[in-house]
Amino acid sequence: MALGVATVLLVVLAVAALGAGDLPLSPARVWAGLMRTDELAATVIWQIRLPRLCVAMLVGAALSGSGLVMQAYFRNSLASPGLLGVSSGGAAGAVIAIALGWAAWSLWVLPLAAVVGAVAATGAVVGLAHRGASTERLLLAGVALNALLGAATSYVLSSYTGIYERNAQILFWLLGGLEDRTWEHVLMALPILAAAAWLWPLGRPMDLLSLGAREAQSLGVDVRSLRRRLLGLATVLTAVATAVAGTVGFVGLIVPHLLRLLVGPEHRRLVPLSLVGGAAFVLACDLASRAAGGLRLGIVTALIGGPFFLWLLRRKS
Amino acid sequence: MAAATQELSALTLAHATVPGRLTDVSLTLAPGTFAGLVGPNGAGKSTLLQIAAGLLPATGEVTWNDRPLADIAVLERGQMAAWVPQEARFEFGFTVRSVVAQGRFAHGDDDRGVEEALAQFDLTTLASRPVNRLSGGERQRVLLARALATDARLQLWDEPLAPLDPRHALEVLRLGRARTRAGGTLLFSLHDLRVAYCLDVVVVLHEGRLRAAGPPEEVLTPALLHDVFGVRARTAPGLTLELP
Repeated sequence: MALGVATVLLVVLAVAALGAGDLPLSPARVWAGLMRTDELAATVIWQIRLPRLCVAMLVGAALSGSGLVMQAYFRNSLASPGLLGVSSGGAAGAVIAIALGWAAWSLWVLPLAAVVGAVAATGAVVGLAHRGASTERLLLAGVALNALLGAATSYVLSSYTGIYERNAQILFWLLGGLEDRTWEHVLMALPILAAAAWLWPLGRPMDLLSLGAREAQSLGVDVRSLRRRLLGLATVLTAVATAVAGTVGFVGLIVPHLLRLLVGPEHRRLVPLSLVGGAAFVLACDLASRAAGGLRLGIVTALIGGPFFLWLLRRKS
Repeated sequence: MAAATQELSALTLAHATVPGRLTDVSLTLAPGTFAGLVGPNGAGKSTLLQIAAGLLPATGEVTWNDRPLADIAVLERGQMAAWVPQEARFEFGFTVRSVVAQGRFAHGDDDRGVEEALAQFDLTTLASRPVNRLSGGERQRVLLARALATDARLQLWDEPLAPLDPRHALEVLRLGRARTRAGGTLLFSLHDLRVAYCLDVVVVLHEGRLRAAGPPEEVLTPALLHDVFGVRARTAPGLTLELP
């Protein structure tokens, strides 16, 4: 039921996103454009709006799915995708690529640098924590590495002030956004679909894990392999999302949290719902950012996410 | 499945050792044994139960039904034995029914025997309540119901009676007895030595070592009670509780 509602919402938002812009299109014209019977509409939709829509949905699904995984993994509904350094690693990689001028070589360099940074950061955290069994060690290593990578990013940002365009590009990237996304970006984001498909059937073991690793193990869950798989999937999801859209905060925290409040904690329902709900949330935020005259996506998600988070805190206490 | 042979032991620990916590513990429980694990705080009871459940690596060997634990895949372990922790922390508000249904994970279903388990532990009226809003004793009953829902022959419970009120404690003992009569094996840790007298076997741990194991009247001698627990035993008329 809830999944149906979320899907309908996503479709409505998608139609709105395809219709909104400098050239407003009615749903009928959106359809005509999609079918290529209206040439102008077809150009706008197929060249500009559809790739942006696809990237927005994939990024949303990825961040939200990844947040859900982290919350189950750490048995904490306040965990977020960036906990183990994926986002800050991706940011550091991207920022370095921009600052050194590599990003100008090809469209693929920046995302690739972000993915390399993200995966290296998570790898370092897991390596530093030494044993995957202890979530506390992982968390602490994540905190330490996040601080280090943040410092590295700030250093690059502060020492390249001379080259104005590069600095602007860095800031632009750090705030996250979906401007000028092309079909190539959609292609880059495709691993998200594969990771989501892999995550889909893990709902039940995630239920057991989220109530305690030892208990899950005694009930027949291979905890070590499940944890490795979840960590791998969360890393890929966030790394790819960061690579194509920059750092976009709060999605992975709020969407699963909100859905859990709405439909309960069972992951068999939450996994599909988080993927669809995350896509809808980012799409809505992107629409809002376009309506606000190009406010950065990362700012919009934080503007909505921050107050929401405070409201949750008040509600809890 | 091969032809069923009469197993000699439901659970065997051979020279189980965890440095600093448990030293060279060897123990065999026959099928159908209702066994209690006693010992002062820090004697290694929880450690022993976790080793027996295959959740804590230890030197030495553990076997279930005469099969080395190392040869049993994780999923099959989930069908053969159930372990109940001393206390559970529930971050998420799963319903009581869905937590009990988790016991069916290793069997690939999520309903067989769940309603019965709920009823046995007096949880039917609480079945739709979120588990993180329950009292300590209610949470304990949820965990025990989940353990019995697994249908596992070997049950390992860590201080199941501690948070329970007298009636539910007696109910749990009655359910445990019914399980062992049906061929199951149950080892649980406890502090109330008076309860230990109604069990088949009492295992005494002291400072990480096995001090004694056997029928309660043979094991719980005044000398041992003084040695291990530092108490003097005296039988005196007092309050006796039983189920109506």
